[in-house]
Amino acid sequence: MNKRASGTAALIAVAALTLAGCTGAGDGSGGDGAPIVVGSVNTISGPATFPEASQAAAAVFDAFNEAGGLDGRTIDYKTLDDKGDPATATASARELVGSDGAVALVGSASLIECEINAKYYEQEGILSLPGIGVDTGCFASDNISPANVGPFNDMTLTLQYGSEVLGLDDICILLEIAGSTRPTYQAAIDKWTEITGKEPKYVDDTVPYGASDYTPYIVKARDQGCKALAINPVEPDAIGQVKAANAQGWDDVTWLYLTSVYSENFADAIDNAGAGIYVPAEFYPFTDDNEINADWRALMEKNDIALTSFSQGGYLAATYFIEVLKSIDGDITRESVSEALKSMDPIENPMVGTPFAFGTQNTAGWPIILKSGTNAWEKVADDWLRIGE
Amino acid sequence: MLQGAIAGLAAGGLYAVLGVCLTLMSRLVRVVNFAQAATGMFGAFSAVWFVRELDLPIWLGSVLGVLVAGLLSAAIGFIAATWLSEASTTTRSAMTVGPLLLLISMSFILFGNKPQPFTPIIAGPAFSFGGVVISQVTVATVAMAIVTAIVVRIVLRRTRVGTQLRALSERPTTAELLGIRSRPLSIAVWFVTGVISAMAIMIVAPSQSNDATSLSMLIVPAAAAALLGGFRRLDLAVIGGIVLGVLGGLVAQIDEVALVRNFLPFLFIVVLLLWTQRKEVWDAAR
Repeated sequence: MNKRASGTAALIAVAALTLAGCTGAGDGSGGDGAPIVVGSVNTISGPATFPEASQAAAAVFDAFNEAGGLDGRTIDYKTLDDKGDPATATASARELVGSDGAVALVGSASLIECEINAKYYEQEGILSLPGIGVDTGCFASDNISPANVGPFNDMTLTLQYGSEVLGLDDICILLEIAGSTRPTYQAAIDKWTEITGKEPKYVDDTVPYGASDYTPYIVKARDQGCKALAINPVEPDAIGQVKAANAQGWDDVTWLYLTSVYSENFADAIDNAGAGIYVPAEFYPFTDDNEINADWRALMEKNDIALTSFSQGGYLAATYFIEVLKSIDGDITRESVSEALKSMDPIENPMVGTPFAFGTQNTAGWPIILKSGTNAWEKVADDWLRIGE
Repeated sequence: MLQGAIAGLAAGGLYAVLGVCLTLMSRLVRVVNFAQAATGMFGAFSAVWFVRELDLPIWLGSVLGVLVAGLLSAAIGFIAATWLSEASTTTRSAMTVGPLLLLISMSFILFGNKPQPFTPIIAGPAFSFGGVVISQVTVATVAMAIVTAIVVRIVLRRTRVGTQLRALSERPTTAELLGIRSRPLSIAVWFVTGVISAMAIMIVAPSQSNDATSLSMLIVPAAAAALLGGFRRLDLAVIGGIVLGVLGGLVAQIDEVALVRNFLPFLFIVVLLLWTQRKEVWDAAR
């Protein structure tokens, strides 16, 4: 056979295979043995990215498929990148739900997706189980129920830990506000006040995202007599804030941060943590080598996925989903999956403090600390800290 | 209040150093270099990489990082001097947006999008009087801005190279006819400003947010500082940078206007432009 003929033959073979693949997936959830389509919308590129959640969910689904799937039916997991862009997020949801015929969305982690697509999911009767819920929308819709605690309950938790466990007075709250999150943060602070009777010394909601220098905000907090700072930054900003306090020689301040700063990279970057950086970890602390995280850790290491809270969230969302899927009798359709999720029994998992049931909020964090000079996170509690306890 | 203003000085010093570099570039090689802070950022990130991945001592890593920034800047300068030597200032400046975006993307690809774990070269408070703390970084950046401006001025006025550079910037054709070689000289200017901005960023980066984007975008306040001197006067660029930093520090202390702080460089630019154009009628100004 000459070169050209073999090339043509190869092309035809590829085309035939592609077509066969199309007919296989084309009838979506209908026939026996056809893959079950599950989607997720993620911010994978752009200035703030969340790639690990869907990678972890994909790893769980791959392992599930390898082990035989659901009586031979595999899960076809489709992840799309919304680039942190509203138009792309809208289009991605329509592609997954409309054309791919997804039965549910699992393990998403996006900067903006929930708020933008919640209405659409309600219209289409599809449920989303994000690995990491980021924006306000993830915690306000009946059709979305993330595996994680989320920044708002996290804020209540970190404040509660500071005032009740550490016994701190004069807690000041600095907020980095993106989009319409201000009222939700206020609600989180009010919840803390309601539970503990304490009030913040002051709340400054003008702290910018991605500023190069946070010194003026730190100086202001110090001048006003704050003993502890509760802040909701992304990781780079948090490093800037701690360094600004270091440069001012403010060494007795206690930092009450959220899970967003819980990473080894952050611990590496901080030498002087003042009186300690406290975080209520949303999942069982991954820096602690423990049986509880063993399965997750093994799977992540096998697939070369970063060990972070984000991959814990994605892993859990996919694990919950598979358990619910197994409980369904009869056809696997969008309706039956939604029905099963809504009526599911709570699933206990030692990696979280609140058993997961679709629509219930996760309200527990495991307190951890980063001390000066250690460059490593440590557990400071023997049990979960729960809101209101 | 006073503490707030002083707190802004460190940032102000950095704006001033970068502003001086911008002014220098604009005067000597007819370009507003938008990639000024980005080359510095890239050099600083390389330094961290040298120290962490190759286990080089910090001083050696820093020196190599500074060199990387200088060479990068020289490479951009080579492009400007070779293919855009006859182009207008606007075109040459627009060209530098390319390297700005390229360097940000490159650093995402090479170093990841997480902030870098800098080991501070200098850190902590330097001294305090009356409860007002002045950090070592503040002293270093402000001193660096002033020293750079003075050294540049002396070089330009008192040395042979300085005279050649001034000749080139004021009468390029005449200077070339006299046998002054313009390309090596202008590439050298690019190299030097690359080195200076990398040094400034390395001093400041450990004590603030240090991801690629926030460091590269320091170009905005730096441009505002340079604008005060009309991209011509070094002393005014230094003052512009420091005033901008101090204003930023002050504004953050007053709740009513704290929100303005994020837009301060832009406000500064708008006010300056309106002021400098105040006597122009519309047609003449264009």
